[in-house]
Amino acid sequence: MSHIAAPAGRPLGVGFLGGGPVTQAIHLPALARLKDILEVRHVMDVDPGVASSVAARVGAASSTSMAAVLENPEVDIVAICSPHQFHAEQVIAACRAGKKAVLCEKPFAMNGDEAARIAEVSASTGVPIVVGAMHTFDPGWLAAEQHWGDLPAQAHTIRSSIVLPPNARFEDFATEIITRPATGTPDYSDIEVIKGMMQGGIMGLAIHDLPLVRRFTPDYDEIEVLQARHVRPFGYAVSLRTPTRVIELRAVMNNTWKPAWTFEAISDDSALRIDFTPSYVQAGSAVATFSRGSETTTFGPYGHNGYEGEWRELAELARGTRRAPSAQALIDDLTFALAISGATVQNAAAGHPGATQTAGATA
Amino acid sequence: MSTYTVTATPEAEESGAVALAVASLPATFGPAPAGGAADIAVIAGGAGWTAEAVRAVRSGSRGVLVVDPVPEETAQLADAAQAAGAAVVLDLHWASSPALVGNDGAPDARSAVRGALGTASLLDSVATAAPGTDVRQLLARHLAAVLAVCGQLQGAGVIRSNATGYAVSATLANGAPFTAQGVLTAARPAGVAIHLYTADGGVDVRVPDPDAAWPAEVRVTGAQGELLLPTLYESAHRAAWRRLKNHLSAGTRPEDLAGFARLTDLSATLRPT
Repeated sequence: MSHIAAPAGRPLGVGFLGGGPVTQAIHLPALARLKDILEVRHVMDVDPGVASSVAARVGAASSTSMAAVLENPEVDIVAICSPHQFHAEQVIAACRAGKKAVLCEKPFAMNGDEAARIAEVSASTGVPIVVGAMHTFDPGWLAAEQHWGDLPAQAHTIRSSIVLPPNARFEDFATEIITRPATGTPDYSDIEVIKGMMQGGIMGLAIHDLPLVRRFTPDYDEIEVLQARHVRPFGYAVSLRTPTRVIELRAVMNNTWKPAWTFEAISDDSALRIDFTPSYVQAGSAVATFSRGSETTTFGPYGHNGYEGEWRELAELARGTRRAPSAQALIDDLTFALAISGATVQNAAAGHPGATQTAGATA
Repeated sequence: MSTYTVTATPEAEESGAVALAVASLPATFGPAPAGGAADIAVIAGGAGWTAEAVRAVRSGSRGVLVVDPVPEETAQLADAAQAAGAAVVLDLHWASSPALVGNDGAPDARSAVRGALGTASLLDSVATAAPGTDVRQLLARHLAAVLAVCGQLQGAGVIRSNATGYAVSATLANGAPFTAQGVLTAARPAGVAIHLYTADGGVDVRVPDPDAAWPAEVRVTGAQGELLLPTLYESAHRAAWRRLKNHLSAGTRPEDLAGFARLTDLSATLRPT
């Protein structure tokens, strides 16, 4: 079990907006490793049965209203794990409620206007916001950051590849899930289904690593989608380009037992490869490997993953012992993801047999 | 004393590590005496190699080995080899790896990949070579390796290509996407990786450069776990020479040119997208 030094006083209180699989299988197990500093005190879900059941697991209060969490003085940190469309309003409400810090699952907004409003509220209230891009908190990634030198400036090729089984496989390794979302058999001949799946692929899966991609793409605001293809049953093959970078995104979610989640940045003479552990399970950190010809240098694995890293940072932010992350960086990450998502959907739709008109491909 | 004498052009000698390969089959092959005629002609596969091979066949070579050929129309050469009864073997940079196409029914990447293509979700491939490598040459090597193990590719097109690499897209027979990426870097050893993703696993193939006998790796993943096919410590160069030996000793004709025609046809149809 992982421990960090217990601070003076009682642990900080955490309240959840949304008690679904992410809360159950990711956050509660991560917080169980940090009980000296963080404690779940309230779980809200629109389904009262889910709220009470999940809350009971950790001895917390439960409710079906956001106000009950925000008005609970025992809650110092609000974690927003609701469906995407509610994120922006809930982040803003949590900031205005005077909480000490907010964690919002990605994406923290669905458009640039929402992101700007969030940034304004965060600035005016002084409440720090952390977006749950867990890989940016992974000790393997952070070790790479300490050692990558000028690679972000020199890399010409960036690649993200995600191969995962359905979420349930790793959720079941992490906890006992209640109320999984219903799944059906998609109609791949329906162009709207493909568009929805491509958007979900970028904003729900690729978005984990797009902040990493952006760190190696100084001209990220000139991103262009060259080709986007849907991969069955769920995934994508997307080719991107900026004036100075080529970026390849791959994802396959099939029924394999063997996950493989890698990020690579490659220059003429050096390369970084990061192998991440799968979501949900407490399987330690990523491993970062730098290569230069026949020489390699490896960092990791370390004892905790990026989810635990998020919560460690949130605790420090709430206690005022760490500076808040740049709101502009969060906005830039979101804008980058939205640009790729929009152009990817257009491109994939244009190449679909059901397309009735040509769509543009430039973000 | 060796059975067959060998002569190689300087370009072929360098790119094909001919002396090393011949020395590893000493009972079969040996260098021709200076100025003397040779049984086997080794030529480099640069532009015009088919014409050079035709000349070698017509001048009496019993065997011709072509090192790293670029896509070229091979019909005339095939006819000439047939008429002369000569064996023409292609030493393909990665595709000649014995791990891709084995002998005598041994487990190989081709069997593993073709057996899984029916449930393919994606075939993704990455080739790596040193900066300065001709990207057209890299793409030809890359596609030759892919074609060695998989079936036809439909609608192939070049998505991008520049001094740092390329991306190619196509479609597999079952409609699943095929992607091939070339990366020029000195950060990693050169080689090609082929990943076939299927409904419940897939096949991973990693082929190193042929300048040493380091083995390719072929891993087959399914519901029961993962299987590493037997590793073969033989370079693509030596595997090509061994095939030539087998054809000469058995009096059979290699099918290399017919197989290579697929690469030539694919290269001719590659379209910018």
